[in-house]
Amino acid sequence: MSRRRAIWLVARRELLERGRSRAFALSLVVSVGLIVAGIIVPSLISSGPGTERLGIVGPAPVGLVDGIEATARQAGLTIVAEPVPDLPAAETRLTDGTLDAALAFPPDGSIPTYVVKTRGNALLQQVVVASFSPAPQIGFRELQPSDPNRDTSFLFANVGVILLFISIFTFGTWVLTGVVEEKQSRVVEVVLSTVEARDLLIGKVLGIGILGLVQLVVMITAGLVAGTTTGRFSLPPTTGASVTMLLLWFILGYVFYSTALGVLGALASRMEEASNASSPVSFIAMAGYFFSLLVALNDPAGTAARIATFVPPVAPMVVPLRAALGAIEPWEVVGSAILMCAAIWVLFVVGGRIYTGAVLQTGARMRLRDAWRTSGRAG
Amino acid sequence: MLEISDLSKRYGPVVALDGATLAVRPGRLVGFLGPNGAGKTTTMRCIFGLARPDRGSITWQGAPIDRAHRLRFGYMPEQRGLYPRMKVADQLSYFAQQHGMPSGAAKAATSRWLDALGLADRSGARLEALSHGNQQRVQLGAALVHDPELLVLDEPFSGLDPLGIATMTAILRERAGAGVGVVFSSHQLDLVEDVCEDVVIINRGRIVAAGGIDELRSASDRRHLEVEVTGNGNAWLAGRTDLTVMERAGDFARLLVPADLDLGAVLAAASAAGPVARFSFQPPTLSELFMEVVQS
Repeated sequence: MSRRRAIWLVARRELLERGRSRAFALSLVVSVGLIVAGIIVPSLISSGPGTERLGIVGPAPVGLVDGIEATARQAGLTIVAEPVPDLPAAETRLTDGTLDAALAFPPDGSIPTYVVKTRGNALLQQVVVASFSPAPQIGFRELQPSDPNRDTSFLFANVGVILLFISIFTFGTWVLTGVVEEKQSRVVEVVLSTVEARDLLIGKVLGIGILGLVQLVVMITAGLVAGTTTGRFSLPPTTGASVTMLLLWFILGYVFYSTALGVLGALASRMEEASNASSPVSFIAMAGYFFSLLVALNDPAGTAARIATFVPPVAPMVVPLRAALGAIEPWEVVGSAILMCAAIWVLFVVGGRIYTGAVLQTGARMRLRDAWRTSGRAG
Repeated sequence: MLEISDLSKRYGPVVALDGATLAVRPGRLVGFLGPNGAGKTTTMRCIFGLARPDRGSITWQGAPIDRAHRLRFGYMPEQRGLYPRMKVADQLSYFAQQHGMPSGAAKAATSRWLDALGLADRSGARLEALSHGNQQRVQLGAALVHDPELLVLDEPFSGLDPLGIATMTAILRERAGAGVGVVFSSHQLDLVEDVCEDVVIINRGRIVAAGGIDELRSASDRRHLEVEVTGNGNAWLAGRTDLTVMERAGDFARLLVPADLDLGAVLAAASAAGPVARFSFQPPTLSELFMEVVQS
C-alpha cells in the first residue's frame, strides 16, 4: 500500500470523526454567529435613531426647517437645525464633528447644496431632500470624498486577520490535542505498526486542515452575505483577491502552526502537559496577531510591516492584511510565500524527526533534545 | 517464516536485547517467555519498527523486513490502546484499510470478526462505552481483522477472565491451524504449556532456551521423582546425597534428580524400605524449566 493512501486514510479518519463531532458543529455555529453579529450589530447602531445636527447657511425658504423636522419625526429621526453664519464656519464644524450635515443656500437664490464631511447618514440626507417641494434640486458635496472601497478594505483587513488567527489557532490546537490523545490512549503504537510516524502527522494536519478550510470558507461567505444584504458594504472589485489571499495564507499559516503544535504535542504524555508544551508557539502566534492589529493595520506599508512580511510565523497574518489594504507589492507576496514554504519544509524535517522520536515515548514529558536523539537514524 | 537474528538494543545504560535470535514458523504457536524486563516487548517492537535495533536483523520469508511485510502482520501491543471515541466497527475497518484492504473488503472483514468475537451487537458503540473485557476483544480484532500471516501479541491473556482466556485460546489455535505464525508473550506458564507447541525463553536480552516444549523438557538434565513408601515416613531417604528433596509429606517425597539416575537402584532401595505406593519419574514442567534456565 502506498504511503499516499496511508496519509489519506489518516486524513479521512480525522475528517469523518471530527467533522461529525459536536465540537466542530459548535465551532462552526459560534464562529458564523460571531462574524454575522460583528457585521450586523455596528450597522444597526450606525443607522439607529439618534440626534442629527443640521446647519443652515444663508436664507432658507420659509417653513423648510419646520418641514424637515416634521419629516424627520415621521422617520423616527431627531434633527436639530441651527443657523450657521457662513459656509467656512459650517465646513469647520463639519470637520470637527459638531455638525452632521449642512444645507447651504446661496444669497443669489440659486440651487442649495447639501454638504457632509464624508459619506453622511443616508437617512438624514433622504429626510432633507424629501422636505423640499416641489421636486428637489440640490447640489451635493463631500468635504473629504469617501472611497467606499477603502473603508471596505479596512474592514476586510481587520476581520481577515481575526478570522485567520481564530482559524489557525483553533485547528492547530486540534492537531495538538489529537497527537496527545493518540499518545495518551496508546493507540499510536497500533497505528505506527503500519503507518510511518511522519505520515501520521501529515495525515492529521491534512484532515484537520480541510475542516479548517471548510469553516473559514463558511465564515467568509457568511460575512460577505451578511455585509452585503445589510448594506454594510458593497463588494469592492478586489474581493476575490482578498478572499484568495485569506485562504492561501490560512493554508500556509495553518500548516506551519499545526505542524509545530503537533510536534510539541508529541513531547507531552498527558493532556495537562500539552498546553504547557505548546506555550512557546502560542506565544509567538499571539505576538504576531497583536502586531498585525496594532502595528501593521495602522501603517501597512511601514518598515515594521515590511520586515514582518518576511518573518514566517508572523507573515500569515501580516501579508493578507497588507494585501487587503493594497499596501503590498506583488514581489513581497511571492517572496513571503516562498519563505513561508521554506520555513514549513525546515519545520517538517526537524519537527518530523522530533515527532518520530517522541511520539512512542511514554512516561515523563520529553525534552526536545532527547526526542531528537531518540529518533537517531530515523532522521 | 519470521527470523530474528543477533538482535541487540540498548536504552542508555540499559541493555534490552543482547544478541537475541529466534524464529516463528507458519502454523506454529510460539510462547515467548521471560521475566519482566527480559526484552520481550522490545523484540516485538523491533518487529514492527517501533524500536530500532542497534544490531541484528529481522527477516520475513528470507528478506529484510519492511513496511510492506508489516502490513501483513497483526500486532497487539502490551499497552492496549484504540481510539476511545471511535465506533467499534469504524475502528476495525480503519485498521483493516491501513493494512491495505480496500474499503469494501475491510467492512466485510470487520463484521466477520465482530461476529467471531461476539461483538456484533456492539459494532455501532463507541469503544469507551464497552467493558474492559470487550475492549480487549476489539483490540484483538484490530490485530486480526486484515487476516495477517503473522500474529504478534504482547501478553494477550493478561486481564482476561477464564471465559476470555478460552475464547483467546480458541482463536489463536484456529489461526495457527490456518497456517498463521503466532507468537505471544505471557507469564501464565501453565497456560502456555497448554496452548503452545514451541517456546522461546529470553533472559536479560539473550535467548536461553528455544524449541518444542516436550523436547525442551526431555532435554533437561534433571528429572522429578515422586516416591511414596507406605509406613516408612521417608526414612529410606536418610543419607542419600544424590537425591535433592524438594518436598516431603508423611510417606510422600518429591525429589529433584539427575536425568541419568539409576532408577532401578532407587526403586530397589525404596522397595527394600516398604511397599512402594507411588513411583513417578517425570521431566520438569515448563514452570520448573523456566525457573531453571532463568536462575542459572
